[in-house]
Amino acid sequence: MLFTVGGAVLPRSEQAARRSESSVYTARGALWVIIYLLFVLAPMFALLFGAHPPARAFWTEFSVAIGYAGLAIMGLQFGLTARFRYVTEPWGEDVIYHFHRQISLVAVALVIAHPIILFIIRPELLALLNSITAPWRARFAALSTYSLIAIVVMALWRTKLRLSYEAWHISHVVLAVVAVVAGIAHMVGWSFYFGDPWKRWLWIALTAFWLGLLVYVRIFKPLFVLRRPYRITEVRKERGETWTLLMEPEGHAGLRFRPGQFGWLTVYGSPFKVSSHPFSFSSSAAKGDGKVAMSIRKLGDFTSKIDEVPVGRRVYLDGPYGAFTIGHPADMHVLVAGGVGITPMMSMLSTLADEGDKRPVVLLYGSKTWDDITFREELEALKARLNLTIVHVLENPPEGWTGERGFIDAEVLGRHLPPPYGEHEYFICGPGVMMDAVESALAELHVPISKYHSERYSFV
Amino acid sequence: MRRRLADELVFATGAIVIVMSAFFAFLRAFR
Repeated sequence: MLFTVGGAVLPRSEQAARRSESSVYTARGALWVIIYLLFVLAPMFALLFGAHPPARAFWTEFSVAIGYAGLAIMGLQFGLTARFRYVTEPWGEDVIYHFHRQISLVAVALVIAHPIILFIIRPELLALLNSITAPWRARFAALSTYSLIAIVVMALWRTKLRLSYEAWHISHVVLAVVAVVAGIAHMVGWSFYFGDPWKRWLWIALTAFWLGLLVYVRIFKPLFVLRRPYRITEVRKERGETWTLLMEPEGHAGLRFRPGQFGWLTVYGSPFKVSSHPFSFSSSAAKGDGKVAMSIRKLGDFTSKIDEVPVGRRVYLDGPYGAFTIGHPADMHVLVAGGVGITPMMSMLSTLADEGDKRPVVLLYGSKTWDDITFREELEALKARLNLTIVHVLENPPEGWTGERGFIDAEVLGRHLPPPYGEHEYFICGPGVMMDAVESALAELHVPISKYHSERYSFV
Repeated sequence: MRRRLADELVFATGAIVIVMSAFFAFLRAFR
């Protein structure tokens, strides 16, 4: 396979560098999985060292062990959402948040199974459920469990409960702190395994570390962001109920991002408020002047008033984040966008154009109607600077439309992409249903998983 | 697809945690 940039074959050293970059990412990803498991299991197994309390029945010990593991997983949730770029890079932020959500269900199952097993083997412990007569250590356990259940209910049914994003976010953080602190208070109160004081301090230090991660993301990170403000220089109306915010750095050089990455934007209030929202950069990453653009579609919540953002307003930007970015070895790029999923693609295309990249690019772009196509004219203009083929797929095409209609599926991909399909680099961004369909279609075309990258824009 | 990978990681983590908890309990109860 030949890797080319600007029509020229990349030197062998560059090809090797790009290949080794992706294996470094894989190795880093695997390393973080091992570290994660160590943080979950090591504190529990540390209890086996030193002085031992008297042995108990297997199921009692098993229930206690899953309680410890559940608590450790809960604590590590603060780390998963701490936006450590080095940790999230190999996976992509959306995958990390997906893992955060799914693993919380495992933690809740473990924490709830812990007392249930105890109640089955020792029914007299059911009396501890009465929080009026129960000792404090049992009250803390109940508080921790109820908080956890509340977190899950509010996260799964936020929209049905009609909770605003901000109200949900604040209660999510508060309940998470209560669940973890009450969990450790329950453990310390029981003190069965804490015959050696260092074991108690190990778990207390671990809790302090988990809460420290929260302090980092809620206090230290916002402080850094506060010192690097941006100013809105233009609010531009685009097609398809989308507005582009152009921003320039105020008193600093700005951030450097890779095309396809995103940032957390705070338009109203300070970065200390939980009102930041993730949006992809839509401007070229090759300009180097520090100016950035984000294109935002009205989809509800904060975005419904995006057109009212005044020019000149000071805003805050935390970023860049995300692994959804070009720069991998490829003979051609295939970009598959649905709706506002075009924004990271716009950044990729502008960057490729600015870099003078002559490799072929195919953009498959699904929209509702012809008039709804965000960046329609800008994309046409990019054809003059890139080896770009655009395939519009319209849900409701106008009369006389001869192009693709419906949704992007395996047939559409097969009609517009030249084989060998497995040699191209694919980028997919759009609504969940479209992404599932395209990912399945690529699997049908035998495209290896390493050759396609996807990002879901609703991951919070 | 990467999400499917994340789902598999969640499943693997859950399974490892349960097996290791059983191992912990075994060491405590039968040693």
